[in-house]
Amino acid sequence: MKIVVCAKFVPDATADRRFRSEDNTVDRAGVDGLLSELDEYAVEAALTVKENGDAEVTVLTVGPEQAADAVKKGLQMGADAGVHVIDDAIHGSDAVATSLILAKALSKLEADLVVFGMGSTDGGMGVVPAMVAERLGLPAVTLGSEVTVDGTTVKIRRDGDLASDTVEGTLPLVLSVSDQANEPRYPSFKGIMAAKKKPVETWSLADLELSGDQVGQAAAWTEVVEVTARPPRTAGTIVADEDGSGAAQLVEFLSTNKFL
Amino acid sequence: MSFVETEERRALRAAVSELGHEYGYAWFTARARKGEQTTELWQEAGKLGYLGVNLPEQYGGGGGGMADLSIVLEELGAAGCPLLMMVVSPAICGTVISRFGTDGQKQRWLPGLADGSTTMAFAITEPDAGSNSHNITTTARRTADGWSLSGRKVYISGLDVAQAVLVVGRTEDAKTGRLKPALFIVPTDAPGVEFRQIEMDLISPDKQFSLYLDDVALPTEALVGSEDAALLQLFAGLNPERIMASAFAIGIGRHALGKAVAYVKDRQVWKAPIGAHQGISHPLAQVKIELELARLMMQKAAALYDAGEDLAAGEAANMAKYAAGEACVRATDQAVQSLGGNGMTVEYGVASLVAAARATRIAPVSREMILNFVAQHSLGLPKSY
Ligand SMILES: Cc1cc2nc3c(=O)[nH]c(=O)nc-3n(C[C@H](O)[C@H](O)[C@H](O)COP(=O)(O)OP(=O)(O)OC[C@H]3O[C@@H](n4cnc5c(N)ncnc54)[C@H](O)[C@@H]3O)c2cc1C
Ligand SMILES: Cc1cc2nc3c(=O)[nH]c(=O)nc-3n(C[C@H](O)[C@H](O)[C@H](O)COP(=O)(O)OP(=O)(O)OC[C@H]3O[C@@H](n4cnc5c(N)ncnc54)[C@H](O)[C@@H]3O)c2cc1C
Repeated sequence: MKIVVCAKFVPDATADRRFRSEDNTVDRAGVDGLLSELDEYAVEAALTVKENGDAEVTVLTVGPEQAADAVKKGLQMGADAGVHVIDDAIHGSDAVATSLILAKALSKLEADLVVFGMGSTDGGMGVVPAMVAERLGLPAVTLGSEVTVDGTTVKIRRDGDLASDTVEGTLPLVLSVSDQANEPRYPSFKGIMAAKKKPVETWSLADLELSGDQVGQAAAWTEVVEVTARPPRTAGTIVADEDGSGAAQLVEFLSTNKFL
Repeated sequence: MSFVETEERRALRAAVSELGHEYGYAWFTARARKGEQTTELWQEAGKLGYLGVNLPEQYGGGGGGMADLSIVLEELGAAGCPLLMMVVSPAICGTVISRFGTDGQKQRWLPGLADGSTTMAFAITEPDAGSNSHNITTTARRTADGWSLSGRKVYISGLDVAQAVLVVGRTEDAKTGRLKPALFIVPTDAPGVEFRQIEMDLISPDKQFSLYLDDVALPTEALVGSEDAALLQLFAGLNPERIMASAFAIGIGRHALGKAVAYVKDRQVWKAPIGAHQGISHPLAQVKIELELARLMMQKAAALYDAGEDLAAGEAANMAKYAAGEACVRATDQAVQSLGGNGMTVEYGVASLVAAARATRIAPVSREMILNFVAQHSLGLPKSY
């Protein structure tokens, strides 16, 4: 079985994240980045399937030069190969364009099982998996909190507020997993050392028979018109209980602020 | 040695750091205060291959070197989980066995040391032989089918978690005078082996013990390598020990510094955060410099050791150990000072580092003995003792 994990390179959430002032896109070049934490669950899900059967896992990313780090992390965790789609024309792509590029690459890779995270930690729209499935004409079982693959059947549990659904599909299909699906492994020392020797291909838009005007900021269906930084946090109110009136003060605070 | 860390080492650093932070110092000290061990972290690190990065691949290790192993301990320490037994089990014992052990010894012990399923303690210190190892009296007597080992050791770390202990003794025919050591692998449950915990005023999950060896019957193959090469073996194990003792100290120092810096950025007493006052910022900057310098020397020692330059590595490892101990003591002390009253609380977790930091100046080799070494070997000065 051929499994492809779509993994995004995102700015490190613990560092300073910014937008580029010239075009209001997320600044990916000038910051420290890493494999989106939520996509580590996707890598783990793929590796688990591999360990329980016979499969080859490829990590696919679309992104600028540093996005190679996302592929590398997947390889260190245990994936077998990587594909990095990189092209200057991709900058500013929206979810629609991103899904187009991913779908083209996935067809070329002839994936049986495509695994996504539940959403990126930067864009975070959570729509790319469904869009890709639509483009490939494949069934999509999304937001799995528990995943089992048995032969060609993929079964997930999707947890909702009121009920949990069990959803099943047959390969080839598109799967996305939530952060409840598993516990992503740390790369082992052997995994780290082996990663360098694993094959990584770099593809341009031309390799995918796409042209620059189909993707990028100009082709985006929406435009970010303005970006405003979140106002700095102000100090909160501290209710001190010095004379036993703390509980009453707390209720007063909660009700005047309409929290109750 | 390149100043640009390889991609693999950076990845190792990042992965170990993440693992260490998953546990963290609050967990580590809670375990210590309850007298409990840190087995889960040890096992998880072992399974990921982090504990055996320096051991040969053939025996389940990572095939790396001391440069890699020191990264593991440094990052665990910086994350608040300095695993003391890393200094001993994979570094000293693993090195001695993989360099000088027989094939049988390698097969028996290395895979377990590499994946952490076996922990091996190291016993050299005796009540009357601490800094002066030539006074070691633990003696092995030849018997019909092997050896009989008797003696007493003190301050031996981790006997409660160890399956075996590498004991430095001497053979009977070399009972006096200059040390002609012999190294024995002794199972901790062998008849005649007893150990008792020494109460230490240290908040650490790793405990120290008095070890009593009373006519412990050992098979011939308990002796590591050949009897005659033992001094060489001992020195081969001591370089990794010093490199790892440096990593241990630097990790603790980084952890303390990190906490202090975070605190002084935030804490405001007058108009600006206290980190803006040079009385606070300069000592922390000094600590940063001293930790970096110690680390650089540790990396040099590791690079020399990994390149097979045992002699040059010895000087660098001693210097690194000295510098790391000093920087660690300074870092923890300054962290406590930076946090004011909070520096003495359990919640902020810096005062509890002070005694551990202090111990890095004493063990495994004291600063005075390092100064003696440098005075004699690097400067060629005469010796008073
Ligand atoms: C604040 C903000 C500003 C934005 N600015 C712009 C803008 O200026 N112009 C514009 O056109 N669009 C903009 N977007 C849209 C943004 O570019 C898209 O969100 C993005 O292209 C893809 O969607 P996502 O990251 O939301 O993916 P999601 O749908 O959240 O991701 C789901 C999964 O898809 C996979 N995946 C997503 N992206 C990749 C990738 N590159 N490589 C491999 N796998 C991937 C991962 O498995 C991921 O877990 C903005 C969005 C936001 C929220
Ligand atoms: C936390 C901890 C863990 C330990 N773990 C282990 C372990 O796992 N295995 C093990 O074998 N040992 C262990 N030790 C023991 C440690 O290695 C010794 O304590 C150390 O080598 C010092 O020896 P000593 O305590 O006998 O001090 P002594 O040798 O009695 O020295 C006392 C003081 O005198 C100074 N001094 C001695 N001789 C000279 C001289 N010639 N010139 C100048 N100054 C001198 C020393 O520097 C020291 O300051 C541990 C110790 C501690 C504190």
